[in-house]
Amino acid sequence: MLPLEHLQTTMARAVLALEPSIGAKALTAGKADPLARLRIYQNNTRSSLTAVLMAVFPVTVHLVDERFFRYAASEFIRRHPPAESRLARYGAGFPRFLKSIDTLSDMPIVAETARLEWAIAEALDAASLPARSLADFENMDLGTSPDILMQPSLRLILSHWSILSVWTAHQQDAADRHSGWTRRAERVALWRAGDSIRLVRLDRANFAFLHSLKHGLGLEHAAGRALALDPGFDLVSALVRLFGDGLVTAVRAAANSHSNSWRQS
Amino acid sequence: MSVMFSPLAIPASAGIGLRSPHIAEMLTRRPSAGWLEVHAENYMGDGAGVEALERLRQIYPLSVHGVGLSLGSAGGLDRDHLERLRKVCERFEPDLVSEHLAWSVADGAYLNDLLPLRYDEEALAVVARNVETLQDTLKRRVLIENLSAYLAFADSSMNEAEFLAALVARTGCGLLLDVNNVHVSAHNLQYDSEAFIDALPAEAIGEIHLAGHATNQVGTDTVLIDDHGSRVPPVVWALYRHAIDRLGPRPTLIEWDTDVPVLDVLLGEAMWADMLTASIMFNRRQAARRDQTTEARARPISLSYECETTTSMPVLAAFAAARVAKRSVSLALPSLEEIYHAAA
Repeated sequence: MLPLEHLQTTMARAVLALEPSIGAKALTAGKADPLARLRIYQNNTRSSLTAVLMAVFPVTVHLVDERFFRYAASEFIRRHPPAESRLARYGAGFPRFLKSIDTLSDMPIVAETARLEWAIAEALDAASLPARSLADFENMDLGTSPDILMQPSLRLILSHWSILSVWTAHQQDAADRHSGWTRRAERVALWRAGDSIRLVRLDRANFAFLHSLKHGLGLEHAAGRALALDPGFDLVSALVRLFGDGLVTAVRAAANSHSNSWRQS
Repeated sequence: MSVMFSPLAIPASAGIGLRSPHIAEMLTRRPSAGWLEVHAENYMGDGAGVEALERLRQIYPLSVHGVGLSLGSAGGLDRDHLERLRKVCERFEPDLVSEHLAWSVADGAYLNDLLPLRYDEEALAVVARNVETLQDTLKRRVLIENLSAYLAFADSSMNEAEFLAALVARTGCGLLLDVNNVHVSAHNLQYDSEAFIDALPAEAIGEIHLAGHATNQVGTDTVLIDDHGSRVPPVVWALYRHAIDRLGPRPTLIEWDTDVPVLDVLLGEAMWADMLTASIMFNRRQAARRDQTTEARARPISLSYECETTTSMPVLAAFAAARVAKRSVSLALPSLEEIYHAAA
């Protein structure tokens, strides 16, 4: 008789169809064939996790068609089952897995769109903190280069492919599966607003500005990077929009030396 | 952000499992549902559902039902997951907390299904240790649910009911009796469903689950699949009647997880459970009155069906105000940007 831990490992590998099966002698199912009953667990695991992935990647499903998606999902589940029971976290590795599938090598938009959809899923599971307004800081001394803290749900995606255009086209039911994807860099900011996600396409300077702020590099560093990319970058407009979009959760006097190091460089 | 809740006790009547398609309607309509149960794993993040549950928790008594702790794992509990469960309980202050007599994690993989144990002394020691860890961490008694199963282990030295009774004796945990699971497992593994219920320690049963199941024909094998995707079938209502007759009223949950119908269907099933319980208790009182001449007659188990805790429905706190940031500045968006909304 196998020790319990060994028995469970063997059975888990059988459920994931990684090994032929567990020995039939260890199992019973009344008058039924226990190995046929074991297939119910295999099917439950595969179908429920496939449903999880289909819910997270609906545009990707549409891009490749559902049958292919199911095939790709079942391979992903077999090779990369969830490591924890919080299924909101399952699927992070799926875009990279899609990228590794030979059949999709001439459709890079598929894995890239999946990357955007995973960012949406992450944002939906992130906190939405109270937004601050510019007026909150009217009489506050924030020094020359304050740190700006952003909504935790903010995600920034840079792709060489037109992912937002594709994603947007697929929000309409009649979208042609293969229409509209081109090799064109798109920079996307997205964040949670209530139970929805807001997605915004950005130019290089605004993307760099948000990227620096999100990574805590301070306002001066962010403005410097944006201006280096586009001398016409309008800092005032960018700041007003930042607050107007509810993306700022706190502003405080700089506590680090990022801005100084930038100034010296 | 933590919200203060007043304690709301779960009554010995019917409640419903809260599912995401119903959240908006629950918030606006606030129907008369005795209590709510949620899956713990759906509220371990910080999404909009968590905010909605904080609002619902102010109105309805709450039960937190874990589905992913894998109490039967010989490798021990996932401490990170246990901590997340502790935080969910700390955040929502549920009146009941429950998990399953099952395992779902082995070899580093979470299988997203509830698998049966080999019922023997080794497994009992594993589960008892894990239940004790769970109860110590949450600082409360936890209810453990019987499983719906499609197969069993030839080397089991006891049955599931004996295992659960031993677990209660060893850990002081309570039990969640899933009547549909009893029927499904009893059919699939060919044992007597009523005898299973009768073998459980009645006083430990703190909650009952009711749900529907599917019937699949595979060759000559008719197997019942616990899919929680339909109304409670007559055969499960009959078994529920048997349970209530033995146990008296218990908090009873209507579960529905696949092909979730409109909210009123769930509320209707809950009402039916309440009516069935009331009729059983009425008949029992009538019989008791008839027998009053024999004074020594033992009274049935007197769980507080008639004196259940009243659940007032306080007005929703206006904590949402903090989240609705009034735009202090307005600026027309430059034409470069496109704004879209993705439904959650």
